[in-house]
Amino acid sequence: MSALDIQNIRKSYGAVETLKGIDIALQSGEFLVLLGSSGCGKSTLLNIIAGLAEATSGDIRIAGRSILGVHPKDRDIAMVFQSYALYPNLSVRRNIGFGLEMRKVPLAEREKAVAEASRLLQIEPLLDRKPSQLSGGQRQRVAIGRALVRKPQVFLFDEPLSNLDAKLRLEMRTELKRLHQILKTTVVYVTHDQIEAMTLATRIAVMKDGRIEQLGTPEEIYNQPATLYVAGFVGAPPMNMIDVEVDNGALRIVGSEVRLRLPDRFRPLLQAPVVQDKTRLALGIRPEALRLASLDQAGDQAGGHVLPVRIEVVELTGPELVATARIGPQKLTACLAPRARVGQGDVAAFAVDDDALHLFDPATGQALLA
Amino acid sequence: MSGSWMTTRAWLLMLPLLAVMISVIGWPLVDTVRLSFTDARLVGTEGSFVGLDNYARMLSGANFQRTLVTTTWFAVISVAAEMVLGVLAALLLNQQFYGRTVLRALMILPWALPTVVNATLWRLIYNPEYGALNAALTQAGLLDAYRSWLGEPNTALAALIVADCWKNFPLVALIALAALQAVPRDITAASMVDGAGPIARFRFVILPYLVGPLLVALVLRTIEAFKVFDIIWVMTRGGPANSTRTLSILVYQEAFSFQRAGSGASLALIVTLLVTVLAVAYAALVRKAAGSAS
Repeated sequence: MSALDIQNIRKSYGAVETLKGIDIALQSGEFLVLLGSSGCGKSTLLNIIAGLAEATSGDIRIAGRSILGVHPKDRDIAMVFQSYALYPNLSVRRNIGFGLEMRKVPLAEREKAVAEASRLLQIEPLLDRKPSQLSGGQRQRVAIGRALVRKPQVFLFDEPLSNLDAKLRLEMRTELKRLHQILKTTVVYVTHDQIEAMTLATRIAVMKDGRIEQLGTPEEIYNQPATLYVAGFVGAPPMNMIDVEVDNGALRIVGSEVRLRLPDRFRPLLQAPVVQDKTRLALGIRPEALRLASLDQAGDQAGGHVLPVRIEVVELTGPELVATARIGPQKLTACLAPRARVGQGDVAAFAVDDDALHLFDPATGQALLA
Repeated sequence: MSGSWMTTRAWLLMLPLLAVMISVIGWPLVDTVRLSFTDARLVGTEGSFVGLDNYARMLSGANFQRTLVTTTWFAVISVAAEMVLGVLAALLLNQQFYGRTVLRALMILPWALPTVVNATLWRLIYNPEYGALNAALTQAGLLDAYRSWLGEPNTALAALIVADCWKNFPLVALIALAALQAVPRDITAASMVDGAGPIARFRFVILPYLVGPLLVALVLRTIEAFKVFDIIWVMTRGGPANSTRTLSILVYQEAFSFQRAGSGASLALIVTLLVTVLAVAYAALVRKAAGSAS
């Protein structure tokens, strides 16, 4: 039995359908991240799970029990909000214990739970303060503490780190990961930050326009993006998308004479025949999959390719050198070693392995997997 | 340099207003203070200096004490009722329902009416011969015979309080509604997930956001209720048997009906002092509430 089972959830506001049939089944202890840009429906889905919004159709089950129509307080969930949503006139202690207080848990038991949560979150010295006397990071810890003491079946997080500054966000991210490792509770976490998604999730659901584009482990999302959207959304800088044309069983980069041998795993596509001669495709290559190579090796190599390029811009970010180059008329970004010896205007070559090539149908946006 | 030039210009621009204020507020105020130490009559004698006699007589008189009690009752009960009604109306109008906008606009109406119109309206409602209240209560079987609500000393003040509440609760509701809309949606959502029922949610989540704005409404309404004149003058003129006579009515009677300008002036200054004390106390309260909210 799944810890959380989301079955064909749809949500419409008048004629606008914001969720178009969402299906996700989570095992106990999974950390699911709903990832997508604003307006993709991820927060709506979270609110439906929490009971703060109603689904138009579909069902949600927590530990086998349908929770549609059940009041939020009876769903056995706890939620952490982006704005922390602390009660301004209550002390930290009462904020954390509020859920238990409302459930008439005896004072001694409440105190014990609050003490335990605040120890775990290292906020014991703050217990008698008011939220207005806390920093952003401390407030978020209190908000998490308030969720923790309830010991719910499912934790819901609505962009909990997006109000924090960059350094604090990193700290809290690690903190959340640590907490999840200790508590092993099922989590649904909404964010638009792909790094948060990659680092925290056991599974990621990339959402777009009310649909799930891809549901998979972070490795799957990163290494085998199912659609152009996922490929472009996850990864920074985003995956390079190069227009190519199928030409005699090879891929020719549009606008140039550069040709790549079609890797073996894509061969079946030619026989299917999904892909015919002159078919236009999108070739995806992650910037970090490109390495600087010697120009005289340009062409197909064993298990890979060397592409001749002209460097246009070079940016040192610290840990890496981001080189923006042209291959024919098309743009290609590469994340190189910081000491790579390239400069603006250089004619150079980038090497890439066959394994790192992704092909997409530009018409449907779907990956061509072989 | 430019600073002093700006200052000069500012004073020049304010001069006409200052002149008007000094002549219509400042001078009468000073003259009232002077009058209050004399036994001047409204018409006739200029009056001679009598020291604190007027004050002593007014403060120790049974009239003043009885009127102070009446005024306090009127202010406390009408303001309390307005606060409760206003908050309840605001909570209702903050819900999502069909026709909410129309209802919000309708609610403002009583407050938008001139006091005299409202008072006349309620006099009609309370009319002992053809009033709507009498009709409604007798037809509902709650009342045997028509009563003179404003003509009986034991119902007149209550009837006035109802009329005053009807007129003034929309102001409180309006202020409370604005405050309610400032309650973050996330906090109400969090309290629902935490299991707070409607009463706990109001107490712990909503009320903290209402306290500041409501205090302002409380200050405004209490001061106004304490100085109330027009609605009472139109409906009962302080009667019957002085049962609805408030301080402002007493001042009017003393100074104009009995033409005792000197003692009227002293009474007016006493009322001013009382209202000032109230205002200062409330201002401190508001400051404290604002401090604890931030």
